[in-house]
Order: sequence, then C-alpha cells, then structure tokens
Amino acid sequence: MSTIELEARSIVKRYGPLVANDHIDLSVLSGEVHAVMGENGAGKSTLMSILYGMQAPDSGQIFLRGAEMRYRSALDAIGAGMGMVHQAFKLFNSLTVWENVVYGMEPTRFGFIDRREAARRVAALADRYRLQVDPNAVVGQLSVGVRQRVEILKALYRDARVLILDEPTAVLTPQERDGLFDIIRNLTADDRTILFVTHKLHEVMAITDRVTVLRDGKVVDRMVTSETSAREIIRAMTGRAVNLTVEKRPSEPGAVVLEARGLTVATDGGKPVVDRVDLAIRAGEIVGIAGVAGNGQTELIEALTGLRIPDGGKVAINGADVTALDVERHRDAGLAYIPEDRATTGTALAASAADNLAMGFQRKPPLSNGRLLDAGAVTAHAKKLIDRFGVKIGSEQLAVGTLSGGNLQKVVVARELSHAAPLLIAEQPTRGVDVGAIEFIHAQLVAERDRGGAVLLVSAELTEILALSDRVLVMFDGRILAELPAAEADEETLGLLMAGRVGEAHLSDGTEAA
Amino acid sequence: MSERSLRAPRLPRVPAVPLAIGIGILIGGLLVLASGGDPIAAYREILIGALAPSNWPNTLNWAVPLVGMTLVAALPLRGGMVNLGGDGQLVIGGLAAAMAALYLPLPGPLLIAASILCAMVASGLYASLAAWGETRFGIPMLISTLLLSYPAIGIASYLVGFPLRDMATGLAQTRMIPDAARLPVISGPLNIGLILMAIVAVAVVFYDRRTVGGYELRMRGLNAKFAGYGSVRLAAQQVRVMFASGAIAGLVGAILVLGSLYRYQDGALLTPGYTWSGLMAALLAGGAPLGAICAGLFFAGLQTGGFAMQRETAIPRVLTMILQSVIILFLAIRHGVGRKSS
Ligand SMILES: Nc1ncnc2c1ncn2[C@@H]1O[C@H](COP(=O)(O)OP(=O)(O)OP(=O)(O)O)[C@@H](O)[C@H]1O
Ligand SMILES: [Mg+2]
Repeated sequence: MSTIELEARSIVKRYGPLVANDHIDLSVLSGEVHAVMGENGAGKSTLMSILYGMQAPDSGQIFLRGAEMRYRSALDAIGAGMGMVHQAFKLFNSLTVWENVVYGMEPTRFGFIDRREAARRVAALADRYRLQVDPNAVVGQLSVGVRQRVEILKALYRDARVLILDEPTAVLTPQERDGLFDIIRNLTADDRTILFVTHKLHEVMAITDRVTVLRDGKVVDRMVTSETSAREIIRAMTGRAVNLTVEKRPSEPGAVVLEARGLTVATDGGKPVVDRVDLAIRAGEIVGIAGVAGNGQTELIEALTGLRIPDGGKVAINGADVTALDVERHRDAGLAYIPEDRATTGTALAASAADNLAMGFQRKPPLSNGRLLDAGAVTAHAKKLIDRFGVKIGSEQLAVGTLSGGNLQKVVVARELSHAAPLLIAEQPTRGVDVGAIEFIHAQLVAERDRGGAVLLVSAELTEILALSDRVLVMFDGRILAELPAAEADEETLGLLMAGRVGEAHLSDGTEAA
Repeated sequence: MSERSLRAPRLPRVPAVPLAIGIGILIGGLLVLASGGDPIAAYREILIGALAPSNWPNTLNWAVPLVGMTLVAALPLRGGMVNLGGDGQLVIGGLAAAMAALYLPLPGPLLIAASILCAMVASGLYASLAAWGETRFGIPMLISTLLLSYPAIGIASYLVGFPLRDMATGLAQTRMIPDAARLPVISGPLNIGLILMAIVAVAVVFYDRRTVGGYELRMRGLNAKFAGYGSVRLAAQQVRVMFASGAIAGLVGAILVLGSLYRYQDGALLTPGYTWSGLMAALLAGGAPLGAICAGLFFAGLQTGGFAMQRETAIPRVLTMILQSVIILFLAIRHGVGRKSS
C-alpha cells in the first residue's frame, strides 16, 4: 500500500518576479487521498498543472512510480495514466456533453465515431456515479454546477491511475459531493491515487489521508489527517485562527425591493425551466435559494437580472418594471450582481484588473464625468478594492486572466459589493475562495443586509445558505417548492426538499410548501 | 472557457513584427529571384519610391485613404465587430459628396463642409443599417455589411452611368465639381484632406484611450458577455460604432472626390483596394487604433514603393501585395489570431 506513486522534487515555477512554486517537494502514496491546501494564490493549481504536464516547471523533477517523467505535454501524462479535473474547466462549449467526455478516446465503428455507443457509455457512466447530466446537452448552455459534473465525468471516463481533482466540489451540492466521495473511496480501494485540492475543511477531514499545506508557493506543513484538526490546518495555511461561524442579528425586513410574479422561462419545445415563480425580496434581509444545480436557478437569475428576457411574468426592482429591459436598466433600477461564472460573465480575462473593477462605475464620478475617464481615479478605485479584498495580484494593470481562481472571484465580489446597491444578487459568491476570504465575504454580505440592502443568495453550499439566509427558498424542477424561515431550515430538511421529496420533509407551520 | 487560456496582450509582441517583415522580404526576394529579377534592385526602388523626400507627398497622398479605411475597419474591430462593407460605404460617401458639390447652392468653404458632411452622414447611416439588422433581427454583420456593399456599388454605378452621367465624355462619371467645392491644395498632390484625416486619426486614438465610450468598446471586444452584464448597452453601442465607422469611410470618399478626382467616377474609388488593405492593417493590430494607423502607413509606403518599382524595373507591383500578405499570414500563424480557446 505504501509505495510512492507520484513524487515531485524541488519544483520551481516563476511568473516574472512572482514565485508561484518555490522548491516544492511532494510525495503521494499509492492508494491514498492526498489533500493539497493553501490560501488563494498559494500555488496549488500551478503545481497540479505541472504534475499533469500542462506546464513545464522552471526546475525540479517529477517521478511516477519511481521513473522520472519528462512531459512534453499533458498527452504524455494522460498516456502515463493520469487524469485531472480542472478548476477552470477545460471544456468545449460548443460541443455536447458526450463529445466532451469521450474527446480523444472515442469508441469507433468502421473507423467512424460510434455516436450512439458514445452517448450510451456517457449516460451509463453518469448513471453509475449519480452525476445527473444529459449527454446530448450542449456544454455552453449548462450552468456551472452541471459543467462541473461534466468535467468530473471526463476524468472518470479515462479510467486514470492517478487522478488530480482541483476544487471539484466548489459548486457541488452536499448530495453530489457525497456521491463523489463514494467514487473516490471505490477508486482508492482499487489502489488508485487521488490528489485533492479544496478549500473545504470538512471535506479534507472526511476523505483524505494526508495533507500538504502550501503558503506563498512553499510547503509549510505536512500532516496526517487523522492526527490533525481543521483548526490546525487553517493555522498552517493562514497563520491565524479563522472564525467560521457568521455573526448576525435577526433581520428587520423593510419594503419589497425585488419582486417577481409568474416568472417563466421556456425551453424549445420542452417544459419550462423556470415555471411561474413568484418571489419578493425585502430590504434588510438575505434570502437564500437552495437547489441542485440544473433545476432552473441559473435561468431564474438570468431572467431576474436582464441577461435573458423571460417568456412570461413580471420583474420589478424598487417598484420599476424591468421585465424586458437589459442589464443596464436593471442596474439603473438598483441591481448589483455577482454571476456564477466569473470567467465568462464576471470578468474580461484579457483586460486589466483596473478595467475589470471599473465596469459599472465608468459613467459616474469619480471615475468619469460621463464622457472622459479619469485614469487616475480608475487606478485609485482598483487599488482600493484590491487592498480591501486582499486580491493577490502584482499590479492593478495586470490582466486578470493570470489570477488564481479564488483571486479572480474576489475581483468580481469586490466590484459588485462596492456598488452598495439596494439589491444584490449573489450567485455562488464564495466559489473557490479560501477560508479567510469566505469569512470576510460572508461578513460583507451581512453588512450589506444590515445597511438595508436586499440580498438574494444562490449557493450550492448548504452551509453557506444556512449561515447567511433569513429565509430559504428551495427550487426544484423549475419551481419554488418550499419556503422556510431560517430557524426551520437544516441540512436534512433542505436535502430532502432539494430532491423533490416534500412528503418526507418534516415541515412545520412556519413553512409553506408550494 | 479556461480562465487562463488568454494571454494578456493581443497586440503582436515587438520582436514578432520585424521578424514577419523580414520573412516577407525574404520570400518576396526569392520570388523575384526565381522569376529572373534582381531582388536588391527591386527593394531599393521600393524604398526610394516610398521614402525619398521627393516622394513623400505621393506616399502621404496614398496614405490618407488607406489609413482612413484602416480606421473604418479598426473601430468596430476594437469591439469585436467586423465591418466588411467599406467598399459600399466609400462609394456612397464619394457619390454623396459629388452630388452635394454639384447641386447644393452654397458658397465656397460652406460647400466643401456641406459636401463632406453629406458624405459622412450618408455612409454612416448606411453602415448603421447593418448594425440595426443584427441587433433587431439577428442578421450577422459579417454577412450583412459585405452584402450591403453590392447594391450600393451597383446603384452608384447605374446613377453615374445614366441619370447623372456627364454627356460631354463617354465615360460613366459625373460632371466636374465646381472649383469652389475642391479641397484647398497644400502642395503637389496633397490637400487639406490630409489634415482632416490626421484629425480623425487623433480623435480615434483619443476616443479609444480616454473616453468612456472607448473603454466600453474595448471591454466589449475582450468579452462582449461581460460588457453586457456589466452595464454596456450593446445594441445602441453597435449602431453608434458602425455609424462612426461608416462616416469615416464617407469622409475618405469625400476626400478622394473633392480632393483628387474632382468628380465621381465609376470604379475609381474601389480599384486601389483601400478597403481591403485597410482591413488587413486593422487585423494586423487587432483593432488597436495606434497600431492600426502605423500598419496602414506601412502598407501605404509599401504600395507607393511598389508603383515606383514597377516604373523603374520590370518587376510588377504585385510583389508588394505578396509581401503584404506574407507578413500578415506569418503574424497570424505566430499569434494564433482567431484560434479558438477551448
Ligand atoms: N499564467 C500566469 N501568469 C502570471 N501569473 C500566474 C499565472 N498563473 C498563475 N499565476 C500566479 O501564480 C500564483 C499561484 O496561482 P495558482 O493558480 O496556482 O493558485 P491556487 O493556489 O490554485 O489558488 P486558488 O485557491 O485561488 O485556486 C497566483 O498569484 C497567480 O496570480
Ligand atoms: Mg487554483
């Protein structure tokens, strides 16, 4: 059991003056689940991509089962039995789910791709691992949560001996996460090896055997999971204690800020993805929407924010009807919005941090007089937000495409929170950010509420919904299945409701089942 | 999709451009050699033809429309949009300028101003038609701009061939415009069109760097979904930008008609191929205005040099066109222009 499967010796990777990996030594035993932890920008994804042959290290060696590997590209790593789930998904958006999954390893018949067999295999794989996806759906149209499942399926399909999982659970619901853990246990029982990157400590405690902690590109600690605690890991990562519980007073809801009536989003032919949804969010409250990804949350939010014109129903912000208007008019009426997909919607990767942070502020003082931009003010604005949210970036003039996943998320959150708008819609606001930053963002969301803002929160992370929400709405199959006051909501009840099992959930009088 | 697949600078890195030019020159030289010519002599004539002080006015005169059409392409390209309808917009501008100059009862400088204005508005409106078609009906501009060019060229050709034809000559052209409508000459072939175009070029660069509109256009070019989500009104922006782009094409048409042809002549605006050279220059710089202007100037030099070479040696000026294409192809290969990120 304890032969070394994968070993990295003294890996160094520099990006200009920044040392992303600073002489990292890592050894992973065969059959173990090995966690790599560290704050945003600590160098985890960089290390993983080097182990997977996607990037060459500046110096250092990699050994797989004792033999030194010299990768020319990731294809060599795949050939050697490695698989990877990427934090920033590597999927073809214009292709279908099955095409993405079998890409590079297509079943063939008479020399042609056997499409039916491929789709069948993917469906069977999805079924076996309880990862719900439609093999024929086009990836670009799927929500981030569903795309996460596709990315996982793709790695599983390849049947790798060593599997690297870079934040695979960032948008999974607890049920899906448990499903993934079952898969991991089966794989390790089969003597497969798993490298697991996550920011979620309970996951590390639940599934891993050993932990390597990185800080600023260096290994600062190695631990055996059974001999350590979440608190100790956090201390190793951050050098301080982090408060994981959210402090908040009972809410004092005021006037209705966001109101939707009979909101419907249709699909071509099939039944609506959002089906006559009614909701009202008041000033001074946080309302959470829980649900398994793919039950219409993404489309509901698109319809509420103006990214998509609804097929039926009405949306009003602060009393103004904005149903068929573009995002700009929604923003005028008082919307700020953290989208779930930071890379395709929330930022322009090739633009600088200063430009990304200026978006939405560009027509108002102090950034401009409506016509001319004040370059100094744009820079100052960016510097202030980078500083306040602790974004790890060399300069505000750098393109945000080079940021680590969590730091990119902070850019989006920082910009939208700084609007101090009457209404904030936050989709997966802490996706991929480290524990310290989660603490900070949660505190900011509560402060937003206490200031009198209305907050609509969508999250796959039930603990986040439970910690922050004053009311919880459960979405299932395009409808709001139930509404619970925070006091009534617990993980078990929500889990049942999210699976559509209303009858089994013990709902009290305060709860309405729709 | 990948959060890191985009490398930040879209512009070619500095060493790539000289390299591409070097390779272009090498391949061109080999071609000349293979067809029995003297490459050194050919390049010497190109250099002299483009850069010898006595030839500057010629080069500049060629650069005015070419850089103009470069801006026509670069402005929408900055926002990720493509205007392939430069030919049609150029023709409409030229014809509108000629008609205004012939038929408006205005005195001297006013007539010039009015003619230019007519040209710019007419071409601007025609270009924004394509934008409106896309925002309203989803007809891709890539197609509509190109297709809208043909009726414009055809109708202009008919108008000067029949109703507006100058009966004194046998050609499809209008009468000469009055002296009052002709652009004042600076020296030799150069007229104040040069100054107008310089002002426009500076304005475009300023717009790109300093204004809110320029910022919003740049963001759209980098990620249209982000811009729309972030508060840019994409539809209105598209119509506005295409109007500006078309208006510049109209200005180029007016400068050619009022400044050197003195009449609208069927085909005269299109044969030099300013639109396509301009489009190439804009692509070369990825739509960045300053880079595009430099590329446009470079092409203008290359082309005037080509004329000189053709005059002085037996080598046809097609060589410079080949050079131009090779340079662009090579840059495109090195930078994976248009490569899809997964
Ligand atoms: N291509 C690149 N160019 C420049 N800097 C880069 C590049 N890739 C990564 N970096 C920098 O290297 C550092 C480490 O990034 P990495 O993605 O490995 O962090 P991480 O530990 O995975 O963080 P997260 O938890 O946010 O995903 C970051 O500061 C990042 O900005
Ligand atoms: Mg990472």
